[in-house]
Amino acid sequence: MTVETTADPPVQPAAEPEATGIGRRSGVIRLVAAHEIQVKLRDRNFLISTGVLVLLLVASFGVQFYLTKRSSTTTIAISSSAGQSAVRQARAEAHAAGISIDLKPAQYATDSDAVHAVRQKKAAAALVRRNDAWTLVGLSSKNDTITTWLVPSLQRQSVADNAAAAGVDLGRLSRNTTPSYTLLDPNAGRNEAASRISATVFGLLFYLAVLVFGAAIAQSVVEEKQNRVVEILASAIPVRHLLIGKILGSTVLAMAQLVLVVALGLLGLSITGHAGQLALVSGAGWFVIFFLIGFAALACMWAVVGSLATRSEDIQSTSPPMTVLVLSVFLIGILATGTTLKVASYIPLLSTIAMPTRLVSGDASWPQALISALIAVLAAAGIVRLAERMYRNSLMQTHRRMHIRDALRHQEA
Amino acid sequence: MPDSLLATHQLTRSFGAHRAVDALSLQVNAGEIVGFIGGNGAGKTTTMRMIMGVLSPSGGDITWRGAPATEQVRRRFGYMPEERGLYPKQPVLSQLIYFGRLQGLDGRQARTAAGQLLERFGLTCRAGDKVESLSLGNQQRVQIAAAVIAKPELLILDEPFSGLDPAAIDSMTSLLREHAARGVGVLFSSHQLELVQSVCDRLIVLARGRIVADGTPAELQRRGRTRYKLSVGAPLDWLDSSSRVQVCALEGHSAILTLSDARDADALLREALRHGPVYELSEVVPSLAEIYREVAA
Repeated sequence: MTVETTADPPVQPAAEPEATGIGRRSGVIRLVAAHEIQVKLRDRNFLISTGVLVLLLVASFGVQFYLTKRSSTTTIAISSSAGQSAVRQARAEAHAAGISIDLKPAQYATDSDAVHAVRQKKAAAALVRRNDAWTLVGLSSKNDTITTWLVPSLQRQSVADNAAAAGVDLGRLSRNTTPSYTLLDPNAGRNEAASRISATVFGLLFYLAVLVFGAAIAQSVVEEKQNRVVEILASAIPVRHLLIGKILGSTVLAMAQLVLVVALGLLGLSITGHAGQLALVSGAGWFVIFFLIGFAALACMWAVVGSLATRSEDIQSTSPPMTVLVLSVFLIGILATGTTLKVASYIPLLSTIAMPTRLVSGDASWPQALISALIAVLAAAGIVRLAERMYRNSLMQTHRRMHIRDALRHQEA
Repeated sequence: MPDSLLATHQLTRSFGAHRAVDALSLQVNAGEIVGFIGGNGAGKTTTMRMIMGVLSPSGGDITWRGAPATEQVRRRFGYMPEERGLYPKQPVLSQLIYFGRLQGLDGRQARTAAGQLLERFGLTCRAGDKVESLSLGNQQRVQIAAAVIAKPELLILDEPFSGLDPAAIDSMTSLLREHAARGVGVLFSSHQLELVQSVCDRLIVLARGRIVADGTPAELQRRGRTRYKLSVGAPLDWLDSSSRVQVCALEGHSAILTLSDARDADALLREALRHGPVYELSEVVPSLAEIYREVAA
């Protein structure tokens, strides 16, 4: 070490502490949070896992997009203008019924050319006239779109032709022959399905976020403990601010990742033409709120898991209670129904997934959601306090692995 | 009256039934380097941790310039814990900036201070490297840089010299002196007694959680009765313990003794000269190690 005297002025007693109270406190918390985020953004594992997640999402939508594009166009090989208008008529009828199908006529010179096109898989079926009647020729199986839309349409067109030839007024003949079929609650089934899907999607997002970020928080806490940095940190700032800063940093990152995934998901849904399912996301707002509350509480508990350990390797033995808890939140959230779901939607942590699921299915109203959120906030506050105590008690115990009992009881090392 | 910065009053800390620090009262003055010595488990680290607020006392209190040491005040203390603490996987510079900011510097001040310290320690070219890639000596330099980055008014250093090579010890010594010259109070612990003697202005010896000696090295060496060494050219059979002279050890032509009054040294010398040549009559200054063994026993 080379040392020369510096020109530092003599120390003057600081007249007044520079900043006090809330400003200083939030400054320290922000500083710790920013540090946490900065470290995480430099962490190769985190960047790679986020990249893989995004790639998986993009790829899954890409595959869906490809499949829908491919399956939605049904090519019919035709050899006459009558065939062309018959196909167009069928398409028009489907559109009139509010169904978007793409029946595409492909013109060929002769009937055998049209059938040949089917053999070469250029068309799903060939529409030709044989013995004065429409005939459809397919390859190995009957195409659903054709069976549902083209066949009845051709049938109606033929009936109309026959009626005209027989001098029958088809309009009078068919009056009041189609029974009306109305639904009492047309959205019920869709909501049921939608809420199941949204519960699974929300649940999975929450589960992954809590596991990935939770483990990262525990890791970051134990590293500071293992490297003894914690003593310097604890001498400079209150342990509570250290904990809150860490949780804040992780929460910001988790939310950023969540927003990225949800945005990609929405984009994907609209590109693949499932925009109708966007209704699913009406519960997303509530989900984000519950996600925040649940994540903060669980993140604190993960910090405790880290502080109980003395080395990274110990985390494996201190984390099982957390893993089980997170898995229960996930499974109950996506599997529960009826009364169980209702009860779960008011139990802190469980409500993270259960309440948004009920909101999507229309089973719960927003005042109920508000009550549930309030309960969750109160519980989270309690958990944070308890976690802070355990964190403080075990943080300076750098020589031995702590048990939960010790951390609760221990009067600060 | 020295300008007292830090003082502890009856500071006590128990771990269960064990009392690690027992009613300890000490003070550190401005510009003073205080050595804190004691065996393992004497309570040095526990005391330093309480001063830094990392550990809360079971009893007693800590004051700064006469007022209770608050969390705000403590942020002006630089701290080097016994077990070194740095983030091994983070770059040197960003880490120092982070510690500086935690201690109250703003971003710009922290960056400037970190840059200056790295330059001073010859580590500018390693600013972007991860701490774990540095040699142990360089990691130690970064550690002390983290302690002084916010221009603290008090330095609490737990074993700052352990693991340092002789050149690094010299460098650490001049760093401490330089800070003391600026009016910073320094309290450091060490096992290396000779080193402590050469560096510090005052010594506090701790044993079983209590202060057993507190003073400048010279004061400690002269505590109790001064012992004299008498060395002569003829047998010392004439020398007997009396009310004025107490013989501690006698061997051939030399003796270690104490006097009831320092002025009796003249009489003793005259008496010795009467019996033959006198080669030496001098004060025996005990080494710190001897004092330490004596007080800590």
